Amino acid sequence: MTRHTSEPDLALYASGDLPVWRKLAAAWHVRGCEECRGLVETFRLDRDGLCASANRLPEDIDWDQLSAEMTANIHVGLAAGECVTPRAPKVEALAWWRPAAAAAGILVLVAGAWWLNVPRSDTETIGRALHDMVTGQRGTVAQTIVQEDRGPMVRSSSAGVELVENGGRLGIEQSGLLPAMYSVSTQGSASARYVDQDTGQVTITAVYVQ
Amino acid sequence: MFSKSIPVILAMLACSAYGQSLNHKIDLPKDSPVGLLSADFGNSNVIARGGANQIEVNASLSLRNSSQKRIRSMTLMVYAQDGAAGGKGSVAVPTLDAAPGETFSIGIKTLLVRPLASGTPAVEVKLDGVLFDDLSFYGPDTLHSQRTMTVWELEAQRDRKYFKNLLETAGADALGKEMLASLARQGDRSRMGVQMVRGRATNVEADRELQFASLDIPESPIELSNGLARVAGNEARAPRFDIRNRSNRTVQHLEIGWLVKGQQGREFQAASVPGDVKLAPNQSGQMTQDATLRFDRPLAIESMSAFVASVEFADGTQWVPSRSAINQPRLRQVVEPSPEEQHLSQIYNKKGLQALIAELKKF
Repeated sequence: MTRHTSEPDLALYASGDLPVWRKLAAAWHVRGCEECRGLVETFRLDRDGLCASANRLPEDIDWDQLSAEMTANIHVGLAAGECVTPRAPKVEALAWWRPAAAAAGILVLVAGAWWLNVPRSDTETIGRALHDMVTGQRGTVAQTIVQEDRGPMVRSSSAGVELVENGGRLGIEQSGLLPAMYSVSTQGSASARYVDQDTGQVTITAVYVQ
Repeated sequence: MFSKSIPVILAMLACSAYGQSLNHKIDLPKDSPVGLLSADFGNSNVIARGGANQIEVNASLSLRNSSQKRIRSMTLMVYAQDGAAGGKGSVAVPTLDAAPGETFSIGIKTLLVRPLASGTPAVEVKLDGVLFDDLSFYGPDTLHSQRTMTVWELEAQRDRKYFKNLLETAGADALGKEMLASLARQGDRSRMGVQMVRGRATNVEADRELQFASLDIPESPIELSNGLARVAGNEARAPRFDIRNRSNRTVQHLEIGWLVKGQQGREFQAASVPGDVKLAPNQSGQMTQDATLRFDRPLAIESMSAFVASVEFADGTQWVPSRSAINQPRLRQVVEPSPEEQHLSQIYNKKGLQALIAELKKF
């Protein structure tokens, strides 16, 4: 027999707390091993001594008071610990409306800034580009961008006449009227013709490249 | 905290769109045949947006004919005073017919966008030209208004004569039917937004040469032939025509109407091709324009046609097609009606046949 049972198992064996199979193994070993048997006897004596000293506790101990004092001491200790330990930030679950309100605010902010700062032609160009991307029309985006890069341009449409040149724009329309007809000239002008519905008076607006 | 910051942000946004008052000037020469009674720029304003000033001009001018002749038409030039390049605009009234001493009003609604750096926003309105009933003209004519307004007046005289003759020979019912037909043609006419760029196109698609069909008007002083343009996608560029002066007078300017037909079969007048030429009687030449016509919507150009819309001779007199010429079925459907025809047809449409007859009897 060269291998001894471990001391924790012997201590548990002495108190009768080992599981059945390990208890049988330990009993088999202790029976044949004088050294281990001595240790088991020592554990039993210590246990009996502890039980005897426990029996010597005063009879009038107030266990409830003792429990309360111990609980209070634990709380004091925890509080003291919080004072000297860096505190982890409180993670609070966001209410559902807060992200929604934040998103709506940002949307209003961006839309307002866009409306105030981005020229209409740029918005139209981006709109056309997005439309072409969605509809899959190839080449139109580049053509549109190039179109605006290649010098003065006049255009005529149901929105009136417009000249785009050197970063500036000049558009002329008639209040509340749609043009009855519109056209461009190859010499660099665009015109639109309006007819007053009440008087029949005709007004022709035009823009010219200088 | 966020809810408290929203009004602040919105207030900042509102402040960034600050409005300015608009400096404006109306420049009428001292000897002008029209006098300014009042000018209301009440709704005009200037708004800074990004790196530009957006100048909205909403003006109403009250004017009076201070000359001794009837004013048939008038053109006002509108431009920004900042000195930056950006062209000019105009507002014209071709069917004015203001008697001596008569007052009339002209509305101007203009939107200009100018770089902020170009200085204090200001808009100037100038008189460019006035055309009287005897075809005499007054004005600096910066925009070649005399030529344009003379064409309008000749077309007006032609159309009024035609409708008056119809009334006399065929009666009021025939005049009414003719007006209804005119209104129907105006309503049925195809329209498409067009852009015009001077110079060469940059369309990446391969282009092809497409020939114009010449709509010959036998009485025209100019004969058109061999018209060509390069077409790619919904662009057409560099129109070119062979021209011959078949009149006995020297021609110094002409204007060609450019008709386009798409694959859907709709034909419309897309542009005009004006050109200064110097053609002696029986002399031939070529007219070329370095410009690109582009349509707002995709359009597969199937065919193109052209006709002579007006001719100016060296003595300053003009020719416009006769009513019988434009009443040809081929031209009738596509040639734009004159401003006067639109004016008269709208009077008929709004006020009835008797009001139209009364209008025709005015002159």
